[in-house]
Amino acid sequence: METSFALTGKGYVIIAADTTAARSIVKMKVDEDKIKELSSHLLMSYSGEPGDTIQFAEYVERNIRLYQIRNLYPLRPAAAAAWIRRSLAESLRSRHPYSVNLLLGGYDIADHKPNLYWIDYLGTVVELPFAAHGYGSYFALSLLDRYHNPEASLEEGLATLKRCIEEVAKRLIVSPDRFKVKVVDKDGTREVEL
Amino acid sequence: MSVMEYNGGSVIAMVGKDCVAIASDLRLGNQALGITSNFQRVFPVTNRLYIGLPGLGTDVTTLRERFRYRVNMYTIKEERDIQPETFAHLVSSTLYEHRFGPYFIEPVIAGLSKAPSGGFKPFIAATDLIGCLNFAKDFVVAGTASAKLFGVAEGLWEPDLEPEDLFETISQTLLNAVDRDAFSGWGAVVHVITKDQVVTRTLKGRMD
Amino acid sequence: MPDTTSLDHPAQRAFNPYTENGGTILAIAGADFSVIAGDTRQSEGYSIQTRYAPKVFQLTDRAVLAVNGFAADGNMFVKKVKQRLEWYRHAHSKDMPLRAIARLIQTMLYGRRFFPYYVYNILGGIEEDGTGAVYSFDPVGSYEREACRAAGAAQSLVQPFLDNQIYFKNQRPAHNTSHPVHLPLATVLSIVIDSFTGATERHIEVGDGLEIYVVLAKGRGLHGLEGVRGVQELTATDDGERVFVVRRELKKD
Repeated sequence: METSFALTGKGYVIIAADTTAARSIVKMKVDEDKIKELSSHLLMSYSGEPGDTIQFAEYVERNIRLYQIRNLYPLRPAAAAAWIRRSLAESLRSRHPYSVNLLLGGYDIADHKPNLYWIDYLGTVVELPFAAHGYGSYFALSLLDRYHNPEASLEEGLATLKRCIEEVAKRLIVSPDRFKVKVVDKDGTREVEL
Repeated sequence: MSVMEYNGGSVIAMVGKDCVAIASDLRLGNQALGITSNFQRVFPVTNRLYIGLPGLGTDVTTLRERFRYRVNMYTIKEERDIQPETFAHLVSSTLYEHRFGPYFIEPVIAGLSKAPSGGFKPFIAATDLIGCLNFAKDFVVAGTASAKLFGVAEGLWEPDLEPEDLFETISQTLLNAVDRDAFSGWGAVVHVITKDQVVTRTLKGRMD
Repeated sequence: MPDTTSLDHPAQRAFNPYTENGGTILAIAGADFSVIAGDTRQSEGYSIQTRYAPKVFQLTDRAVLAVNGFAADGNMFVKKVKQRLEWYRHAHSKDMPLRAIARLIQTMLYGRRFFPYYVYNILGGIEEDGTGAVYSFDPVGSYEREACRAAGAAQSLVQPFLDNQIYFKNQRPAHNTSHPVHLPLATVLSIVIDSFTGATERHIEVGDGLEIYVVLAKGRGLHGLEGVRGVQELTATDDGERVFVVRRELKKD
């Protein structure tokens, strides 16, 4: 089942998403990257209806890029979250709504703070210290309630993330076997191996 | 599954002596799963006017943005603050524009309106999701705990409460009502509006 | 040509043996008394069938039973409980103790597990140790002894009010004091009356009349009841426990 987690720490946001692309009961692909680097300091994981996800993620990606080209500076995380939310909210009441759930993680280079936004397909946005989508959320959120520390170093943050992934691997019936993990901090975005 | 209960949440407003109060819980969930205990659904409109937007989470944000836009346009054109009565009708007509595809929100409005004498008069109102206005003299409630809020408020509220007593009354009403509602709770916020100031307090509540 | 359309699809017929008749009941236990109350409106949908249909019944001089839900089931259930209590009296020459009545009610309810009495029961009275008690039941016999309970149409309105006023939920006692475990009778009576006037105001199925039964422990004085308008004593034996009823009007709209 599709699962994604994200958590903030001291000066960074970690986003993790599983890498399976499934159709019905068949795994079509096991190395799918479901986290986009929207700009130098902005990450977005996406999950939901196949087709909608990539279409919407690319639409967001190109518009965020367009803003940067037009204005010579990128959207800050809060502004990007607001724009994406509005796109989803308008789509919700259209003839064919996108059903895409997102986690938006960014490092705000203006106020030097990490930001994480939980966004669902309805256009509900919440700013959170940690978040999850999919069936994994039922396992991960309680672990994150217990172990999350906003002052944690990147190593400690990754250790907490590992707990979540291991719990999902242990308890979820059809658990994904691989997660892609990306980090955004003052130096920008990068992929990390667990 | 009802859309009105999808994210949970409740709002109440009460009239006191030369003051009004509006309060809300802070939970936002996905059905039974709690997502955040810090979701604000009560927003200032002017210095003496607040609106609470219980209902579907996405529409809370959409309507807040819409009302902010329309109130800003009003303020620029009229060069004065919007009055609660006027704002209530603005809310009503905004919702009724979407009569056959509504926003899933039941707004609650609380504020002080300018009397011709120069003083201030307490004002509260609520509407349903298509904008049918209810101007109550005592209290209005909305959200997933509305039945419970009605019950407790009917027992605790009395006329002409001073600001501090009104704060206690609305806080007790809200906390005890949301503790019997699975979709509301996880903390609360209370605003008491008097002619000179607005006192905002965040309350701790049961976290189950 | 014969009409065969009716044979095209198998027709489903269903008889629904249940209905809801509205109303609300509530009970509160004190240290040495118990108060059991219910409104008297009986309705079906938006129609009022009668403005006076009692939902609270005296079983013995120390037990009072309130039944709410499907009125026909409620009345039949009370009739059967009373019958079992009479047999007990003939066999043992005394009234059944309250906790035994509570267990009897659970057995009778669970006995109909697969065609239940569609009623919520609240039993109030005095235990053998002289304490006030309230037992609440679900339709199939799950039960629990509590200090207070509301049930019926306006349960969601009344119960959180009781949490606040009886259990002092969300209230902190003043420094170096503590909340009382049991409230005095006069306070309990005014909370009961406030609960029902509140429920009547906001719920269409509640109103018309209010019947408050008060059971007093052996040797307890009348304090808290004196000066109350329209009290009537219903005590049948001179065992010691005494039963009173207070009747009040509620709004009829």
